[in-house]
Amino acid sequence: MAFYEVYSHPALIRYKTNVCTRATLFVLMVFCLTYIPPLLVAYKSQGFWLKRSTYEEQPVVQFQYQMLMIGATGTAGEFVAWSTFPDFNRLLGSNLRIPAVSVKEEDSNQDGKSDRLRLQLSVPLKAEEQIYSIQLLLTFSYQLFRMSTVVMQSMAFIQHSSSVPGSQLFINGDLRLHQQIPLPHRGLHAAYNVSVVETGSPFATSYDLASIIRAYQARNLTTYLSCPTPVWIIGRAVNAPFQINAEVRYPLETISYRPGFWEMIKFAWIQYVSVLLVFLWLFNHIQTFVFQNQVLPTVPKPLLKTHTQ
Amino acid sequence: MSVINSLVPARFLTLTAHLVIVITIFWSRDNNVRACLPLDFTEDQYRNEDNRLVIGLSVTLGLFALELLGFFSGVSMFNTNQGLLSVAAHCSASVSLSFFIFEQWECWYYWVIFSLCSVVPAVGELVQMFAVLCLKKKAM
Repeated sequence: MAFYEVYSHPALIRYKTNVCTRATLFVLMVFCLTYIPPLLVAYKSQGFWLKRSTYEEQPVVQFQYQMLMIGATGTAGEFVAWSTFPDFNRLLGSNLRIPAVSVKEEDSNQDGKSDRLRLQLSVPLKAEEQIYSIQLLLTFSYQLFRMSTVVMQSMAFIQHSSSVPGSQLFINGDLRLHQQIPLPHRGLHAAYNVSVVETGSPFATSYDLASIIRAYQARNLTTYLSCPTPVWIIGRAVNAPFQINAEVRYPLETISYRPGFWEMIKFAWIQYVSVLLVFLWLFNHIQTFVFQNQVLPTVPKPLLKTHTQ
Repeated sequence: MSVINSLVPARFLTLTAHLVIVITIFWSRDNNVRACLPLDFTEDQYRNEDNRLVIGLSVTLGLFALELLGFFSGVSMFNTNQGLLSVAAHCSASVSLSFFIFEQWECWYYWVIFSLCSVVPAVGELVQMFAVLCLKKKAM
């Protein structure tokens, strides 16, 4: 007593013919119409070849303890300055003011990568001096490891000026990466592992901020401080030093890269095969109709073996 | 015989679909003509390209007339070869010409579709008509 279907499997019917027949031509045409249109559909609907993708990584940033600070103290071009480069300090003469520097790099989530830099500079000033603008250059070493290995020296340049003399400049921002071109997906990228400021040269031009920034911005990979607005606090007590408080965060970066060969092929294959399945199903039905109903003459191999007498 | 019962309506439907789309292109050819001209084009260039497309569409309609003549007169209605060829060609043409209108393809795409999907079945139709009328073959 057969109640229900317990198992089934398809039985194959083979259709045979010669090479030079209409059936062969038909099968060739169907082959072309099955395998070529999915490629056209996938390509024409954009995004077939993955040319750019992104990944997230928190970079390994370390403050290099090289700084350069220039503060304008008057409208006639008077300034005070200081840096960690002895050649630059020597060129300053009496404009040199050596500040008290306090630097702290914190790793708040204990993952081995610093997350924040706290910097405090207290610039001593004479009683009659007032600071109207500050230019501060900080250097960092910036490293990425996940896809291509990037090792570079980068900087953050902060500039703020005000028409009123101030007592404190408070900066709070993120150190962001700026890419001109996408990174490769593997390999070592250490072309920018040179110091941003040319040390070892006694000439004043190597400490010229405009030429430093011009050379730095010519790079394909740079960092900048993304700081909405620095806070300029006024009202300095007569003998109090000028305070610069900077807090620089090292956030998680979204980095764009050019995918490698296999990643491109993987995504292209997924797109091609998913459209191919539709065409395969459609043309399978058409071919079954054509050959089962003998629209084109072929010789079907019989299902049941005929007994020869 | 049962296969002919499905092949003849299929052929008629695809022929009609292709015909309808060609007539639609007649009315909406402005976008396609603009797609094959540069951004700043002159009236002369526009008229040239427009004329070319109109000629192409008119020749297509002529070939349609030929094929419909052969089909409705019964010369090739029951011929499975011509039926299959016609169905395949006009189906591909309908799909491609829909893309031609919606995606605003350039004018030269029309000539490709025309040569593959209008000329080939029309030639097959002519051959079939010649075989039946002149060589006295049976129209099957």
